[in-house]
Amino acid sequence: MNELSDHSPAYIGYIVGGGLKENLRVRLTIPPQQVQEGGFVVIESGEWLFYGLVTDLQLGSTDPRFADEQSEQRFPKGIAEMLHGQTLYTNLVVLPALMLRAGLESDISQPGSGILPVKSVPSHHANVRMARAQDVAEIFGNPQDGGKFIIGYTREQGHAVCIDLDRFIQRSSGIFGATGTGKSFLTRIILSGLIQYNKASVMLFDMHNEYGFDDTESDSNKGIPGLRTKFSGKVRVVALGRGSTIRGQNPDFHLELGEKDIQPEDIELLTRELNLKETTPGTLDALVKSFSKESWFTQFKKLKHGATIQDETGKTIPAPDSVAAWANENGIHPAAAEGLHSKLNRVFNRAYIAENPAADTLEEIIKTLDAGRHVILSFGEYESDLDYLLVTNLLTRRIRSRWEERTNQYRSKKQHEPRPLVIAVEEAHKILNREMASQTTFSMIAREMRKYYVTLLIIDQRPSQIYDEVMSQLGTRISGWLGDDSDIQSVLSGLAEKDALRGMLSRLQAKEEVLLIGWGIPMPIPVRSRRYDDQFWQEILGSQGNSRTEKEILSDLGY
Amino acid sequence: MNHIEIGRLLRSGTRGCVVGCRVTDISAPSFGGLVLIPPAMDGGISIYGIIYDIHIDDDGLVRQLVTADSVSEEVILDNRINRNVPLEISVLFAGYEHDRKISHMLPPRPPLTLDRIFLCSDEDLIRFTPVSAFGYFRHILRAEEIPVADVFAAHLRQVSRAHFSSGNPGWLDSASKEIITMLRDDYPLLMDVLGAITDTRLFENQS
Repeated sequence: MNELSDHSPAYIGYIVGGGLKENLRVRLTIPPQQVQEGGFVVIESGEWLFYGLVTDLQLGSTDPRFADEQSEQRFPKGIAEMLHGQTLYTNLVVLPALMLRAGLESDISQPGSGILPVKSVPSHHANVRMARAQDVAEIFGNPQDGGKFIIGYTREQGHAVCIDLDRFIQRSSGIFGATGTGKSFLTRIILSGLIQYNKASVMLFDMHNEYGFDDTESDSNKGIPGLRTKFSGKVRVVALGRGSTIRGQNPDFHLELGEKDIQPEDIELLTRELNLKETTPGTLDALVKSFSKESWFTQFKKLKHGATIQDETGKTIPAPDSVAAWANENGIHPAAAEGLHSKLNRVFNRAYIAENPAADTLEEIIKTLDAGRHVILSFGEYESDLDYLLVTNLLTRRIRSRWEERTNQYRSKKQHEPRPLVIAVEEAHKILNREMASQTTFSMIAREMRKYYVTLLIIDQRPSQIYDEVMSQLGTRISGWLGDDSDIQSVLSGLAEKDALRGMLSRLQAKEEVLLIGWGIPMPIPVRSRRYDDQFWQEILGSQGNSRTEKEILSDLGY
Repeated sequence: MNHIEIGRLLRSGTRGCVVGCRVTDISAPSFGGLVLIPPAMDGGISIYGIIYDIHIDDDGLVRQLVTADSVSEEVILDNRINRNVPLEISVLFAGYEHDRKISHMLPPRPPLTLDRIFLCSDEDLIRFTPVSAFGYFRHILRAEEIPVADVFAAHLRQVSRAHFSSGNPGWLDSASKEIITMLRDDYPLLMDVLGAITDTRLFENQS
């Protein structure tokens, strides 16, 4: 990591053409191998500095014949080298992003500050250099400043690149990348930053039980510290289902859902998973009307499927406590009701759903979040899509409702401001795909809940499966390597510079390189992502390591 | 002046001149060499030029002799030494000196007939071709009907040796770069020039 006092003077080229629409062309004066696609460059044009991103390197020649002929075989080495230097060249294509009048204080998030989105072009022959540490700090923030969190380092010089956590939590965000590109590590890093930063609570749906307690890296067998281990006073691990353990360790408490908590929309969300018919909404509506919003699930569960009796005439009719009898009484086709009942057996049988749970653990989770702590909900052995869809949606709906209520109270009665909440969702396409997005609470959160202090952090390897409207709302997008064109297109949707960035995304190194883009990032930039290792924890926690303050310990004990 | 005189001016213009010399003086001037025409009077200009052609015209006697069955050595020597028609050396002007200042522009007025012409010394070569000053190359490039590639090659060989002897081995590289820059949009001519420079073997030590 370089210090901010770095003053490497070397220019790498000069402007030879281009424009705002077609990008800028820079004649490279150093060997092309010293510059990479995605390099962060600064163009010095008079009193203005232009900040841009290398999006392409193109070989050129003053005459195609110079390129066609292998002059090194025809001329002595000295002449051939001179000829190549004069007639063969490399042009950089630079996507200009920001401009700054030199010497002005700058903060792009502050209106009227020195840094502007690029609105003009540098002069011909303006000198171009690689960004120095102070340039990177100028644009992305100084790691020493509050709220600026190092997410990675520039690939060529290794200058620290920060994200602004204040902006990060203002809108929903996404972490994308094909499998094995380090999404989980990056998520751990960002969550660690958010937890340490302590301006937002985090609710993480941990489908594969990998974030809370220590884990082992599958490739290297190295230990991976869990967030609960490192932030024991701030993070609560909640396991789904009574008596569940997570990788052999006991959670802080268990989540048990009450049957009264399950609403028809939770079931409708499972349409694809349970292969429900189009008659389902009508049947559910009748169930709520027949029983009540709180008891329909319990009562429907108790009805018997296929139970019959014989009437006085000896004719076989549905038993009074049968599904068919209820259907007949409520104007529902018995086959539709019995079909739904039969398919809901998978839900009726979930061990984590109880008629009368021992405690209102949903409320406990909300209180924990409200108190400024963070919750990791591990699904333990319940790793099926059904469990994930049902529990995440149900819990999120409850959280959303509570935060909305708090915000309205805050705005009308000036009660205390709600604590910002980030809901992190793994395998987001399962709940935010085109068919389901409109039905889940998540899409609503992505679209409008920032007004209510709740945002999403979605983590996924198939962004193309996520509903476009949700994708377009993501403020900060952090993407590792993606191979599929539709995934790349999706990650870049809604960005003006998507054409220039498309190739960059597909050529990221498979591991430990990510592209930062979106509203929350001053300008797009590929970075070598920060490593989730001992050094990271040393930097995050300092010398205190895993130690906890007296206040935290007392707080844990309930004082 | 310690320069070698090679002849006197036959005819001239502002772009060049033709010099006549005796056959006995043929060993001194060479193709590509830099020559100097001192001022005819005080306060005048010294003109520098590059030799781009040396030719020997026939006369009536030679025409008869070449068809004879045998020509004795005495006759041959007599024809060469005592011939009436001089050798003609064509010179392309490259610049001039006035008030001890070198200019790579064409001279403001041509030299006069029978002005004496001298070969430049190494000191003159270095003075006229300082590093990073190659303006006179344009006169070679623009000249019509001269063998540009070979003139460059021969000129570079002579001047680079002078610079090398004076401890400036980088002149050749600088001059070659300048030629490439000037000709990079003229592929055929640049290839010709570089081919000719290659034939001088000046770059062999660098390979």
